Amino acid sequence: MSKPFEPKIVAFVCTYCTYAGADLAGTSRLKYPPNIRMVRLPCTGRISPMFILKALQKGADGVLVSGCHPGDCHFTHGNYHARRRWTVFRALLNFTGIPLERIRFSWISAAEGVKFAELISSLTEDIRKLGPFEQYKAMIHETEAPVSL
Amino acid sequence: MSIQEQYRKKAAELLSSGEVKLVIGYGSGSTPDRRRALFARTADDAALFHVDAACDANLSGYLVNEGLLSDKKKIGIFLKPEGIRSVNILAAESQLDPDQIVILGFTEENGTVSGLQGTQASDFTSLMTALKENRTTSEKEQALVDKIEAMTPQERFAFWQAEFEKCIKCYACRQVCPMCYCKRCIVDNNQPQWVHTSSHTLGNFEWNLVRAFHLSGRCVECGGCDRACPVNIPLRLINRRMANEVLDAFDHFSGMNQNQEPVLASFKKDDPETFIL
Ligand code: SF4
Ligand code: SF4
Repeated sequence: MSKPFEPKIVAFVCTYCTYAGADLAGTSRLKYPPNIRMVRLPCTGRISPMFILKALQKGADGVLVSGCHPGDCHFTHGNYHARRRWTVFRALLNFTGIPLERIRFSWISAAEGVKFAELISSLTEDIRKLGPFEQYKAMIHETEAPVSL
Repeated sequence: MSIQEQYRKKAAELLSSGEVKLVIGYGSGSTPDRRRALFARTADDAALFHVDAACDANLSGYLVNEGLLSDKKKIGIFLKPEGIRSVNILAAESQLDPDQIVILGFTEENGTVSGLQGTQASDFTSLMTALKENRTTSEKEQALVDKIEAMTPQERFAFWQAEFEKCIKCYACRQVCPMCYCKRCIVDNNQPQWVHTSSHTLGNFEWNLVRAFHLSGRCVECGGCDRACPVNIPLRLINRRMANEVLDAFDHFSGMNQNQEPVLASFKKDDPETFIL
C-alpha cells in the first residue's frame, strides 16, 4: 500500500513576528505538523509574489505567507504594502484557477505561538484533504519529459 | 472639414511653427484596413496622417524611447482616451514630463471618430472622471469574465492551461505595452531565474501571471497586448479582471491624472483584508 499523502507546505514568514511566533510555539513545546517548510524574510514587504510561484514550481501543495499585524511592522509599513499586493495577486491566482485554499495569508505576532501552531495544524489538515496539487504537478512533470523529435 | 483634415492641419501647424519637433500618429499600414505608426518631422509629412476607426494602437509607448524627450523639446502625439491615461501613468511613474507632450486627442465610437478638446494631459481630467464613472464595459467581455469566474477552480485552471499552452513566449504582449518600459524584464533575468524560459505550459503560465501582476492597476485596457498576441490568448480578460479588482478593492482607476499614486506602491491603513487569517 502506498503511503498516505503528506502535503508539502512552504511558509514565507517575517522574522520579527511570525518567525518569532513559531519560535515561541517551539519553546512552549506546542505540537504542529512537520509539513511546513519555513523561509524567513526580513519583512512581509520583502515577500514577492514570485516566491509563491517559485514554491509552486518546486512542487509545493500549499503556501502560507505570514507577517506582523497591521500597525506592528518593524519597518512601520511593509505589511501595508504587502497587503495590497496580496489582495491583487490572490485575485489573479483565483481567476487563473489556483485554488485559494492552497495559498493562505495570516498575521501572527511574536506572542501568538498558539495561533501559529493551530494555524499550521488546520492548514495542513485542509491541504491534506484537498490532496496533491495535481494540475500544477502535471505541468511540472511536462517540463521534465524528454523532448520528442 | 473632416476630422482627419482638421488634425492633419493641426499637426502641420505644430510642426511648421516649431512648437513640436515631432508628431507621432497613424500612417497607412500593410493593408487598407490597418494603420502603422507614422513619425512626422515636417509639415509635409503631416499630410500622410490618418485619423479613422482603424487607428487602434496606443502610441504612447513610443514616448519613452530612450533619449527622445531628453532635449526638453515637445512632441505631438495622437491619442485615444486610453492613450491619455497611459501618458498620465508614465508621468506619475516619472518616466516623462507631461508638459512636453502635446496631445491630439480623438475618440472612436461605433466606427465614427470625433476629436477631443484639450492638448495637455491635464486638460482631460473631466473626461477621465467620466470614464471612471461609466466604465465602458463591452458586454461580451464582461460576460466572458463572469463565465470564467463562475467555473470551479479546476475548470478555470484547465481553461487557462489550454490558453497558455499556446503561448510561444514571443513577448509581443510586453513589447507593445506602453506600461512595459523596464530596460530589463523579470523574465529575462537568469540569476535567479523566476520564470521557466522554455515554452512549456508551466513557464507560459508563470509568464502570464507575472505580466498580469506587473500591470495590475497600471493597465489602461487599450487592448494592445490582446491584438498583438499571435496565438490569440484572451489577455483582455485577465486585464479586465485585474482592473475590476483594483477598482473594487482600492477605488483605483489607472491613469486618472499625472499625480495619481501607483496602486501597489501606496496603501491605506484601512485597506480591505477579509482574506487574511
Ligand atoms: S497590458 Fe495590454 S491593454 Fe493593458 S496597457 Fe498594456 S498593452 Fe494596453
Ligand atoms: S503575445 Fe501571446 S504568445 Fe506572445 S508572449 Fe504574449 S501571451 Fe505569449
